[in-house]
Parts: sequence; structure tokens; C-alpha cells
Amino acid sequence: MARHLPKMLSLARRMLSDRAEAEDVAQEAFLKVWTHAARWKPGKAKFETWLYRVTLNQCYDRLRRKPALELEAAAHVADPKPGPQKALEDTALAAEVERALASLPERQRAAVVLCHYRDCGNIEAAEILGVSVEALESLLSRGRRTLRTKLAHLKDL
Amino acid sequence: MQTQEEQNAADAAFAARALSLLADEPVSAALEARILGDFDRLAAAPSLAAKLAQAIRRVSETIWPGAPLWQPAFVLALSLILGLAAGMLVPSSALGRDNSDVTQTASLDAPPQLDLSAGEL
Repeated sequence: MARHLPKMLSLARRMLSDRAEAEDVAQEAFLKVWTHAARWKPGKAKFETWLYRVTLNQCYDRLRRKPALELEAAAHVADPKPGPQKALEDTALAAEVERALASLPERQRAAVVLCHYRDCGNIEAAEILGVSVEALESLLSRGRRTLRTKLAHLKDL
Repeated sequence: MQTQEEQNAADAAFAARALSLLADEPVSAALEARILGDFDRLAAAPSLAAKLAQAIRRVSETIWPGAPLWQPAFVLALSLILGLAAGMLVPSSALGRDNSDVTQTASLDAPPQLDLSAGEL
């Protein structure tokens, strides 16, 4: 649990733009994995792949329940460091990035965030997302391009 | 002029820089406690087999209190075997004729047979 929880939480947080919901997702994902442990076939998929797939599916469920993405909430950064000007600038920059990320379509966001946080190869990421490798590459390419376009005005990046 | 691959690589590098600005999410002790609590609850919950055994024990206590489980199970199995054996071995003729398709005529349905010329009156 200690090995996967931080990454699962970061993935859910970037997908949902909400810390409390991300925590709920991580908790539900573990519960689901323990409850349905018998369904996992060792030869069929890696445990991590299955775990992240469960987490992403929980995120999708919650996103579908939300009427619309609250971009203002997405701009909220959990841990703003008080004090020097640099910290405030970093916080504002992070908020911009988070807002741009939250505005991506959910499949593109999932691909971008998964490849960044999970740090896995395209084959595994495609398996987690339930798409072909070509489809994943397309999602990644479009997601990253959109992110870059939206953040093009930032000089510090 | 950038090729498609160069542009993709530049986009990927930009996205990696942008995402690295986002702080990692620290795992709170409360979340860990919630997850471990779920695990403990699941581990403490009886399995399906245990629930089934408990239900059987409850039924056996109702029909034969204080007896070990094999006694009511044995009696139940024995009565089942005896019933099946009786059903197979006892000939059907011994069970009596089936008269369910014979129409019974009640005497009241027949016309009265009264002969006044008999002279008995």
C-alpha cells in the first residue's frame, strides 16, 4: 500500500482536481482490489496495471457524476508555501498548469497524467487505459499539444 | 521547420516540465488509517463458507439443541434414504387403486323408481 498510494493519490488528484475526492478514490480503489482480489489473474495482467485501472475507473465514475468541471476549484493548490515572492509565483504557475490540465478532455488528461506519474511504458499505460498503443500515443500527443498551447503564455516554462 | 516527431518530443518535454511544477500529493495519516481500517474490517468479516457453516449450526441447534452437528445430519440423511428406498421398492399396486377418474352417481340424481301397482300399500 505504501508503495502505490502516493502515486495513486497524485493520479486521482490530477484527474479530479479535488484533494478530498482523490482520497476517497484511493480508499475505494484499495477496498475494491481487496474485495475482488480473487478476480485478478496473475498471468493476465500485472498487479500494478490492475490497481491503476481500478483507480482510473473510479475517477471516471466520479467525473461522470459531476455536472461540469469546476475550473475555479481546479485552480486551488493544496499546499501554497507562504513567504517569499518566488513561492507565490510558483504557486500561481502551478495553479495555471492545474487549470490547463483540468480543461483537457478526460481521456487525454488520463493519458498525460498516467504517463507522467506512473512513469510506465506506452504498452502498460495503454493496458491501464484499455486502449491500443496507437490510440494512447494519439491521446498523449493531442493532450500534450493542447497543454502546451494553453500554457504558451508562460515564460518560465 | 520541425518534423512531427520533433514537435511531439518538444510537447512531451514541455508537459513534463509543466507537470513537475505540481507538488506531489502527501499521503495523510488519516487516509492511511481509513484504508487500513477498511482492510481490518474486511479481514474480520466472515467468509461465505463461514456464514454457511454458521447458518447450518443455527438450524441444527433449532431442531436438535445441544447435539453435535453429525447427529441431525445423520438422521436427516437416514430418513431421506428410507423415503427413497420405500418409494422405489414398494409396488404401486399396494398403494390402492386410483379411482379418481370414475364418476360417482348419487342416488338422488336418478329418477325415482316408485311402482304404485305393486300392491304393497
